Amino acid sequence: MPILNPSIETMNRKELLELQLERLQIVVNQAYSNVDFYRKRFDEARLSPDEIKTLDDLRRIPFTTRKDLLDNYPYGMFAVPLRDVVRLQFPLGMYGNPIVIGYTREDLKMWNELVARVMVGIGINEHDIIQVAFNYGLFIGAVRFNQSAELIGAAVVPTSIASGEVQVKIMQDFRSTVLTSAPSFAIHIMETMQKKGMDPKTLSLKIGLFGAESWPEEVRQALENYFNIQAYEIFGVTELIEPGVAGECMAKNGLHVFEDHFLPEIIDPTSGEVLGEGGEGELVLTTLTNRAYPLLRYRTSDVTSLTSEPCPCGRTLARMSKVLKRTDQMVCVRGINVFPEKVEEVLLSFEGVGPGYSLVTQGKRGMNNHLTLRVEASPGILQGREEEKTSLRQKIQLAFRRAAGIGVEIEFVKEP
Amino acid sequence: MLKVKNIEAYFGKIQVLRHVSLHVETKEIVSLIGANGAGKTTLLNVISGLHPSRNGSRVFVDVETRGLRPEKIVALGLVQVPETDKVFTPLTVRENLELGAYLRRKDAAALREEMKRVFGLFPILEERQSQAAGMLSGGERQMLALGKALMSDPKMLMLDEPSLGLAPTIVSEMFRVVQSLNRQGKTILLVEQNARETLRISHRGYVLDMGRIVLSGTGEELLNNEEVKRAFLGRDYRQKWER
Repeated sequence: MPILNPSIETMNRKELLELQLERLQIVVNQAYSNVDFYRKRFDEARLSPDEIKTLDDLRRIPFTTRKDLLDNYPYGMFAVPLRDVVRLQFPLGMYGNPIVIGYTREDLKMWNELVARVMVGIGINEHDIIQVAFNYGLFIGAVRFNQSAELIGAAVVPTSIASGEVQVKIMQDFRSTVLTSAPSFAIHIMETMQKKGMDPKTLSLKIGLFGAESWPEEVRQALENYFNIQAYEIFGVTELIEPGVAGECMAKNGLHVFEDHFLPEIIDPTSGEVLGEGGEGELVLTTLTNRAYPLLRYRTSDVTSLTSEPCPCGRTLARMSKVLKRTDQMVCVRGINVFPEKVEEVLLSFEGVGPGYSLVTQGKRGMNNHLTLRVEASPGILQGREEEKTSLRQKIQLAFRRAAGIGVEIEFVKEP
Repeated sequence: MLKVKNIEAYFGKIQVLRHVSLHVETKEIVSLIGANGAGKTTLLNVISGLHPSRNGSRVFVDVETRGLRPEKIVALGLVQVPETDKVFTPLTVRENLELGAYLRRKDAAALREEMKRVFGLFPILEERQSQAAGMLSGGERQMLALGKALMSDPKMLMLDEPSLGLAPTIVSEMFRVVQSLNRQGKTILLVEQNARETLRISHRGYVLDMGRIVLSGTGEELLNNEEVKRAFLGRDYRQKWER
């Protein structure tokens, strides 16, 4: 099976752990001396960076949470001066404070390699034509497929959010061999073809590379059967790199975590205790090489488990199971993440609504494509005239679209 | 080939190395760069067994060398070329070279063979073999020091500032020699102030600052790293938000 960087991807695990320790010590030194937030955290915990002498000592470092990133907006988490940063990205939300993640040129180079590792590992090569049907505006990782495809010499067709019909036409005319998108969008393309009575045999697709939302095995089956492709998953974490933290290989039995750049742990989300091999819990990641934006023990809120059992593909990198659950209330709709704090922010800016609310999702095959926000409303609103309700609904919808990037149905209720 | 883990070293009460971990693979040139006083030479001395370390391990070709005497470490094939006092000035060039092979002194044939190889590498030393080492120029002394280290046919060389005090033309010659030694199969750990030239010939490198490793990467990555450029390659900088 093809491997882009065999010296790392098939490295003897003992050596890999030594490399991780070396890099962990370096990133801890950098974070402590360059990031005030970490210096304070260490000092409060009465921990010196010099005490990190084994990988187990990692457990002594306090967790970093999403809230820490929000609190340190914009540049508080940066470990290099802004001049070294060549890209600034903020995932979603023009509302309130977003999170700003910086990357140096080296960070981007590393990222390109990681996505290319996944591509090569599932059989993509310079003869392939990759159709990228991710939303380039909202899913900032989409552009990474372009860069990494170029790295391995494959051709890229960024079709972005073109309609299902246009996607099919381009797939047919350009003879795309790889489709990469959110799995729900691939299902949408499939259904478009079924509705129009189109023949999947008119396509040249061989491989599907899907990610950005969780998708059950049945979806893989459906896509593989209909398009006659091999479908694989790529995983990322927006606050580190997305996509590119982990990816499936041809064995399809878990996603190899790129442990030379990210140190994974699984914790019990309530107690914070580190779980052993195979235990299911929250994924915690420590960046080992990110220069601009090092994160120590970042709680991803994704629920998974890890195994370092050998994989038939020959890679020694540990594998994580498919993420199907979250520890927070975040919901993912058509590949777009909606965080509770964004919802709260939106509601705060309107009189008479909130703070109580609930999110109701509708979808198919275990993936969401429709979101309804049931929000607590004052009696004044509930008993008000229909036009007033409609106008308020529209205002909230607009604000929500700005904050989260997607449209939402609004229902006013007495108790959400 | 060499694995160093959590080295700590002190001068009296002052800690000069803090949990330093690094590794050197067989046939690599790995460089260690850092400002004056960062702890580079101390680290080499710890690895050579010349300076005590409180903690940590240092494994050379699967042998833990902690607690071994320096000559035992040399016998394992790990030889350091020090920054200063690297040759015995009153002795002749040939005598210096013979001393380099002290541990193999009983094997006359091997010694002759080795000397021939060193003379092949540095013809100037053959011409000057009966002169006192004190009569040599800075560059020639550096060649002699290297030749002396090579006489024991080491697996790995640790070079401490080989370009120090040399004229610019000799400096590039020096780096060419280091590179060709590496191509002939020698593993090299190189400590240098001359970061640009060093990183250019290195497979990988580490940056040491105040006794801690603060950066690592391939030679090319470090050459392009903005922090390295500022600290060692003489680039100015102003932060983007500074007015």
